[in-house]
Amino acid sequence: MSKQHKDKAREFLQNDSYATWHDQTFWGVRAKRDTMAGNLPEWETLREKASQIKRHTLSHLDRYLDEFSRNAERNGAVVHWASDAAEFNETVLGILKGHGVRKMVKSKSMLTEECEMNPFLEAHGIEVVETDLGERIIQLGRQKPSHIVMPAIHLNHDDVGELFEREGISHEKGNHDPVFLTQQARLSLRHEFLSAGAGMTGANFGVASTGDVVVCTNEGNADMSTSCPKLHIVAMGLEKLVPDYDCLAVFQRLLARSGTGQPTTTYTSHFRKARPGAAPMHIILVDNGRSTWLSDPEHWECLKCIRCGACMNTCPVYRRSGGYSYSYFIPGPIGVNLGMLRSPKEHAGNVAACTLCQSCQEVCPVKVNLAGQIYRWRQQLPAFGKANPTKRVLSDGMKMVFSHPLLYKTATGVLKPFHSRFKKLEK
Amino acid sequence: MSTREEILARCRSSIRERYAMPSLDDINPITWDDPVKQFRQALENAGGKAVEVPSGSDLGEVIKGLFPQAVSFAGNPGEIPAVNIDPDTVEDVSRMESLDVGIVRGETGVAENACVWVPQTMKEKAMCFICEHLVILLPKSRIVNNMHEAYRRISFTGYGYGCFISGPSKTADIAQVLVMGAQAARSLTVLLLPE
Repeated sequence: MSKQHKDKAREFLQNDSYATWHDQTFWGVRAKRDTMAGNLPEWETLREKASQIKRHTLSHLDRYLDEFSRNAERNGAVVHWASDAAEFNETVLGILKGHGVRKMVKSKSMLTEECEMNPFLEAHGIEVVETDLGERIIQLGRQKPSHIVMPAIHLNHDDVGELFEREGISHEKGNHDPVFLTQQARLSLRHEFLSAGAGMTGANFGVASTGDVVVCTNEGNADMSTSCPKLHIVAMGLEKLVPDYDCLAVFQRLLARSGTGQPTTTYTSHFRKARPGAAPMHIILVDNGRSTWLSDPEHWECLKCIRCGACMNTCPVYRRSGGYSYSYFIPGPIGVNLGMLRSPKEHAGNVAACTLCQSCQEVCPVKVNLAGQIYRWRQQLPAFGKANPTKRVLSDGMKMVFSHPLLYKTATGVLKPFHSRFKKLEK
Repeated sequence: MSTREEILARCRSSIRERYAMPSLDDINPITWDDPVKQFRQALENAGGKAVEVPSGSDLGEVIKGLFPQAVSFAGNPGEIPAVNIDPDTVEDVSRMESLDVGIVRGETGVAENACVWVPQTMKEKAMCFICEHLVILLPKSRIVNNMHEAYRRISFTGYGYGCFISGPSKTADIAQVLVMGAQAARSLTVLLLPE
């Protein structure tokens, strides 16, 4: 296994007080999640139902994609299909160019991170403004998210204050009060919402039976992004579908409780069509590997993930190493697995970032067996040419010894005289 | 073959085993003896406020009394005579940039998490988000226990948009400090109407 994660984690741990804060903050979020779970007697039933609904939906994805796209079109939306990141980016650019858009506001979308959409659009002269506060902060700092729900968790209020001063968002030097800084960002983003030509949202869920796109935020930035500009584009991964409202209720109840320990996000917004006087809503359904991952008998259930972040909040390795220690843009247990599905050669180093404690799969609201899958990836490392040669020799040697009783007895016999010396050393 | 057909074909060839849809009849979701009381508690936890409106009250006066400093009020003028901005006729969203109070009707409240379903009933839905303070009118009898009950009830208007709103806009993106009033309304008041 590669030392990549270990080396970066060592860097993260250099700042002891920050590392402790990071660890304790996420453990606090995990504790809030536990309180939420404990308040609902049906919690474990909900998790089991969610897992089964996702299994059902993913194993009938052809049917639900067809149903969703037909209903969305009936509502008046334009549905696009993109096989990969390049096709997705070109589709977005085409829509924006067709409407003469030069600036687009957007709410958070891990899919657009995955497709590296922002740099692509910027290279084509389109200004993209992130409107989730955390995403905006890291966009201004030219950084990547270090957590999927709390993207700027690696920065403290002084970092943000200095950044806002540098970028002209805050004009009161030295005032790094989070309330003040949030207010300054609010004022700055108001201007962006009202001057943008388009608004993009991701999608937490797509409802097949109605064609609804459902977006969950605490800030209301998805609603601002779609209430001000005259064009709404939705970026949505294929796996976001749920069959109907009865199923959606199960996921809506699990998502925020699992992710941030709230009983709901502030806004659960349902989009069926564009606002009056606007262009039709465009929905882009993105594959980018997902339809192929469905065929992987050991790892397809990663597609059940609803991106709540609970697995990273609880992970003892994530909490003590931070998002930037992982090579894939999604960190933590789900990121380790998604990175391996994406490119084992590039991201094999991350499979070391796991103690197999299984805390992640205990909290996962859709019961993805995250640690179990990481274990399986480790078994496959030799096939990717990524196994640590020393460990490999040792483990092959052990296998030989343990599977041949005579050899085992001889080996232990040879080692017996050293036994007492080992005992002394232990003391 | 179109990208649509290619993707659907890839899905079909990748799926190895088709799993059945589970029954959702045996979830036994949580209920309360007094859902209104639970709703109020959940709303308070979310940073919002519930105000009971006695029958026969003048809604316009109640709202003005809650926001004595406010100058601009937006909402359906047929319903609240006190409003001075109509989101149906406002010529541009930017005219509501400094809106003090937005007033809208909620359809269903949810006791477990203080969500209120607000279907779009005005031309410019921006009113619900761009305002400094949002007021939702909700008849007490429309409060259900949980999201399972709520999702069986909600409806849309021809505008094709609706939102569950629970509390004011909030963020903790700067150093995990909770701040009300991120990009949308800084406060939420739910007026609980007798009927």
